[in-house]
Amino acid sequence: MKKSVWGKSLLGAAAVVLGLGLAACGNSSSDKSSDSGKKVTITFWHGMNGPYQKALNGIISDFNKSQDKYVVKGTAQGNYTALQQKIMAAAKSKKLPTIAQTTYTTVPDYVSNGFITPLDPYMLKGSDKLSQSSLDDIYPAFITSSKYEGKYYSMPFSKSTRIMYYNPTLMKKLGVDMPKSWEDLEALGPKLKAQGVMVMGFDSSFDMELEGLARQAGNPFVSKDLKANLDSKKTLKVTNMIYNMIQKGEAKTAGEDFYGDKSFTSGKTLFYFGSSAGISSMKQNAPKGFTWGTAPLPTYNGKKATELAGNDIVMFKSASTDEQKGAWAFMKYLTSKKETIKWAEATGYVPLRKSAVKDASFQAYLKKNPTSKAAVDSLSFGFQSTAFKGFTEYRNDLLDAVDNMTTKGTKPETAMADLQKKTEVILKDAK
Amino acid sequence: MINEKPTLKSSLKAYLYLLPMLVISLTFNIWPIISSFLMSLYTKYNFYTDKVDAMGFDNFVYLWNDPDFHLAVRNTLVFVAGVVPVTVILSLIIALLLNQVKWLSGFFRTVYFLPFVTSTVAIAMVWNWIYHSDYGLMNYFMGLVGLHPINWLTDPHWSLLALIIMSIWKNLGFNIILFLVGLNNIDKGYYQAAEIDGANAWQRFWNVTIPMISPITFLVSVNGVIGSFKVFDQIFALFQGQPGPANADLTIVYYLYQKFYTEYKYPIAAASGVILFFLILLVTLVQLWYSRKHVHY
Repeated sequence: MKKSVWGKSLLGAAAVVLGLGLAACGNSSSDKSSDSGKKVTITFWHGMNGPYQKALNGIISDFNKSQDKYVVKGTAQGNYTALQQKIMAAAKSKKLPTIAQTTYTTVPDYVSNGFITPLDPYMLKGSDKLSQSSLDDIYPAFITSSKYEGKYYSMPFSKSTRIMYYNPTLMKKLGVDMPKSWEDLEALGPKLKAQGVMVMGFDSSFDMELEGLARQAGNPFVSKDLKANLDSKKTLKVTNMIYNMIQKGEAKTAGEDFYGDKSFTSGKTLFYFGSSAGISSMKQNAPKGFTWGTAPLPTYNGKKATELAGNDIVMFKSASTDEQKGAWAFMKYLTSKKETIKWAEATGYVPLRKSAVKDASFQAYLKKNPTSKAAVDSLSFGFQSTAFKGFTEYRNDLLDAVDNMTTKGTKPETAMADLQKKTEVILKDAK
Repeated sequence: MINEKPTLKSSLKAYLYLLPMLVISLTFNIWPIISSFLMSLYTKYNFYTDKVDAMGFDNFVYLWNDPDFHLAVRNTLVFVAGVVPVTVILSLIIALLLNQVKWLSGFFRTVYFLPFVTSTVAIAMVWNWIYHSDYGLMNYFMGLVGLHPINWLTDPHWSLLALIIMSIWKNLGFNIILFLVGLNNIDKGYYQAAEIDGANAWQRFWNVTIPMISPITFLVSVNGVIGSFKVFDQIFALFQGQPGPANADLTIVYYLYQKFYTEYKYPIAAASGVILFFLILLVTLVQLWYSRKHVHY
C-alpha cells in the first residue's frame, strides 16, 4: 500500500515537472513551426474590430493572393489599449510580431527601448523602394510624422481628421448661417443659449480642438525643436475662449457619453466637433429622420487647421531580414493608391495619397457619400502633434489639464501653467 | 496515520504532495513579489533587456513628491473606508432577513448573488446608465423624493461616491452567503438558553448572534479591506478607461496601471505596488490585533 502511494506521488510529480518542461519547450519552438511551406510569414498585430477588421482582412487576403513569396497573418488584439499592452508584454518576452499598428506618438518611446527598426533600407533603397514621386504623393502631414530623428520609422495607415458635424434642420429653425470661423461660433453662443441650445459639443475632451486653435493662433503646443507653448499668451487666449463658453453653458464636453454625438443628435448642441472616423457610427446611430452634414473645422485668426489622428504601422527589429522585406512589401501595398481608396471607402478613414483623392472612382464615391467630403477637404491643412519620448505621459497630463478645466472649473491660467511645468520636465528628459 | 511520528520518509512524502502547489505559487506569487520589490529599487533600468545600471530609493522619493500619488492614496483610503463597513453591515442585515424568511429565500439568495458572478464590465455598463445625468434612473428616483439631480460621473465631488455605491452593491452577494453560513452554524441551543433566561430579540442578537458570527465578520472585513485596496476594474469600466473626472477616482492600483502601461515608468509602478503592499499589511495587522480580543472561535 505504502509503496504504491509513493509510486503514484512520484509519478504525479514527474508528470508535473514534465508538463512544465514541455510547456516551456513548446513555447520556444512554436515560432518557427508556423511557416507555411516556403513562404515567409509576416505577423501583423492590429487594433481594428467590427467593420474595420473585416475591411482589413479583405486587404490582407488580397495581398496574400497578389504574390507568392509572403503570407501576412493579421491578428486583431481587441482595441488600441489592449494592442499596446500586448506589444509591451511581447517585447519583454521577446515574441514581437513582424509589424504592428501603433500611433506615431509612441515611436520615440519604441525607438528608445530598441523595439523598432527604421524603414529606410527598404523604403528609400533597394528594388522595392518608394519612388520620390510616390513619396511626394502621400500627404505631407502623414509622412512627416513618420520621420523621427531623420529616419522613417512608420507608414501611415488608419488616419482620420477632426471635422465639424452640423444639424441643418435646427440651423434653419434657429436662423443660423453656416459659421465660417471660431469667432462666428463664439458670437453665436449667447444668442443660442437664450433659445436653449448650446452652440457646440466636443467629445469627452477638447484637447485636439484646442491644439488646432493654438496652432491657428500662432504656436503649436510643442514645437519641432521641443519647446512647450502651453501657457503662452496665444495658447491662453484660445483656451479661455473655449473655457468661458463651457463655463457659461454655451458649449459642453461629452462627459459620461464619451462621444459628443448623443447631445448632437438629440439637438442639445447645434455643432459637434468629432473624428471623421465617427461618420460610420453616426450613420448607424443617428435617429431615423435626423439630418446632419459635415464641414471642415472653422478658421481662427484667418487660418485653417485640423489635427490628424489615427495609427501608423511600425516594423520590429526582432524580425528577420526576409520577414522585414515582406513586411515592407505589405506596407507598400497597403499605402498604394488602389488599396488606400478601398480602405477609405470601407471604413471612413481618409485616403493617404493625393492621387487617390483625385481619382475618378473616389470622387464618384464622395458624390454619393457627401459626409465623407469634409475630412478629405481638411487634409491639405491637417497637422500632427510633435512626437517625443514621454509623449504618452505628456498626453495624460494634457487630458488632466483639460479635465480639470471642464469638471473642476480650474482657471486656464492655473491649469495650463501647471501643464507647462510638467511638460518642460518631460521634454528635458526627451532631449 | 495521524499519530505517527514524523520520519524522514513521511516528511519527504508530505513535501512531494505539496510540491505541485509550491511550484505554482513560487512561480506565480512569490517570485513576482520578490522581483517587484527589487524593481522598485531600480533607478536606471531597461525593462526589456533587464539591464540595471543603478539602484536606490529615488522611486520612493518620486512618489513622496508626486501629488497624483497622494491623491491616489487618499482616494483609496476613502474608498476602503466607504465600502468595507457599509458592505459588512448591509450584508449582515440582509443575511439576517434571509435567514428569517424561509419563503422565497432561495430566490433572493440568487438575486443577491448575481452581481458576484456577473462580469464587472457588464455591471459597470449598467451602472453607467443608472448614473447618467440626463437619462439615469438614479437621478429619476432622487427627483421623486425632491432631490436635485447630480452629475454622478462627471462631477469630481460625487464620482468617488458613485464608485463606492456600485462596489458595495457588487460585493454584497458573496458576503451575504458567508454570513448565511455563519448564521446557520450557530447552535440553536444558545438561543433557547437565552430565551429561558428572558433575553429579548435584541439581547439575543447582540449577545448570541454577534459573538458567534465574529469569525465570519472578521473574514469578511479582512477580505473586503484587501479587495478594496486593490480596486481597479470597476473604475476602468465605469469611467471608460479614465480614472474619473479630474482624477477623482484615481486609486493606487490605477496609478500603478497608468505608470506601467501608459507612461512606461516601470520602477515607479513597482514602487507604488510596494507601498500598496505595506499599506494592506499594516491594516491587516491592525485587524488581526483587534481580532485577538474580539473574535470568538
